Amino acid sequence: MMDDTHVLDSLPAYALGSLDEEEKRLVEEHVLGCHICRQELDEFQVVADNLLLAVPEALPPAALKGRLTERIQRLNRTPTKAPPGWRFPWPLPVGAIAAIVLIVILGISNLIFWQRLNTMEVITGPLGMRAVALQNTEAASKASGFVIISANGDDGVLVVDELPQLDESHEYQVWLMREGVSTSAALFSVDEGGYRGMRLTSPESLLLYSEVGVTIEPAGGSTSPTGEQVLRGSLFNP
Amino acid sequence: MKSNNAEDALFLKQVAKGQSAGIEALYNRYSRLVFSIALTIIGDRSVAEEATLDVFVQVWRRANTYDPARGNVRMWLAAVARHHAIDILRWQSSRLDSKSLYLDDLQWLGDPSQPVVEEETELALQRKRVQDAVAQLPADQRQVLFLAYFKGHSHQQISDTLKQPLGTVKTRIRLAMQKLRKLLMDELDDIESVDTSEKNRTT
Repeated sequence: MMDDTHVLDSLPAYALGSLDEEEKRLVEEHVLGCHICRQELDEFQVVADNLLLAVPEALPPAALKGRLTERIQRLNRTPTKAPPGWRFPWPLPVGAIAAIVLIVILGISNLIFWQRLNTMEVITGPLGMRAVALQNTEAASKASGFVIISANGDDGVLVVDELPQLDESHEYQVWLMREGVSTSAALFSVDEGGYRGMRLTSPESLLLYSEVGVTIEPAGGSTSPTGEQVLRGSLFNP
Repeated sequence: MKSNNAEDALFLKQVAKGQSAGIEALYNRYSRLVFSIALTIIGDRSVAEEATLDVFVQVWRRANTYDPARGNVRMWLAAVARHHAIDILRWQSSRLDSKSLYLDDLQWLGDPSQPVVEEETELALQRKRVQDAVAQLPADQRQVLFLAYFKGHSHQQISDTLKQPLGTVKTRIRLAMQKLRKLLMDELDDIESVDTSEKNRTT
């Protein structure tokens, strides 16, 4: 129950992240101007954060450190900035995007790159662009896809292949996830071969998101993922 | 008791300068914590390993985004681990074994009676304090805390999962957190004040 003047009863749940969007918004609006609730919330947040120390202890494998070293060494070897004076020609007609992407990838054109892309790693390509291979799910076991993000994260492209065609009442929707919040980035349908290339739109830099996924949604899209997931990938890697 | 936060802050500065010694030091110190959090949330070792790597790579890439005003380095890392693991869990929840989502109070709590061999004494002691405090909660309160904080469930989702009235879930969360605050705040104040003093010396 929420007190008329304070939101004290909601603060523990807010600190845990378990309020729904409307309740969360009310708390955030209130604490902006209430030092009592602000102080209470700060204390509950400390309590919540310390719960992370109560988890059962588990040892990561010794080899994990070596894998981290390898990833960081790869980061150190690859450029992250576009050369001055160059600008990737955005926006592009959707039909041209896939062709450009393929040209870029083929321009790098070595077997190791393709193998790594196929094993769901994030590859840094020319001009600092990052390519992320997506993993399919049982709902679309033949599907494949990848995301390419520009060096500064302002632009991104998704290309998918062999996704099942959907009926008229459904579409595929692309989601970008960050700290538990899903943001819609595109809505699309595929051709007879299950193929489509599209530009991703996002209110923030694509580099800020940790996951990308594709789900089946009602035609016109949803405000949050409701349907079956068909493709996903981690954007967290370098 | 001396805090390690000053050292951690120096390690982060090394990372921000592109010095791998910094990330190695943080990994040596906190990989176990990060992996433990990821495994508790995700319930799959191989995915938790990937999540752990993701976290430290993210630290490598974005060390300059750490804000000391928002907490010490250890808790920042733990929070990053939690957020990332919940993101992964939400995407993979339809594929994971449903047992990984089931609650066993002691399974997630960790056994406070077992000695924990920790490189960092302060972390071990703080962990013990929190575990002891959580152990004092009734089982139903530990359950809702776990679902809310480690599985990222909303009130309604917890209500649906446990088949309990929504009001009951809200009350349990509130009572659990109020009790934990009462049990922990005095001790956490000591830790926070140590960290604050360290922060003041390093900034």
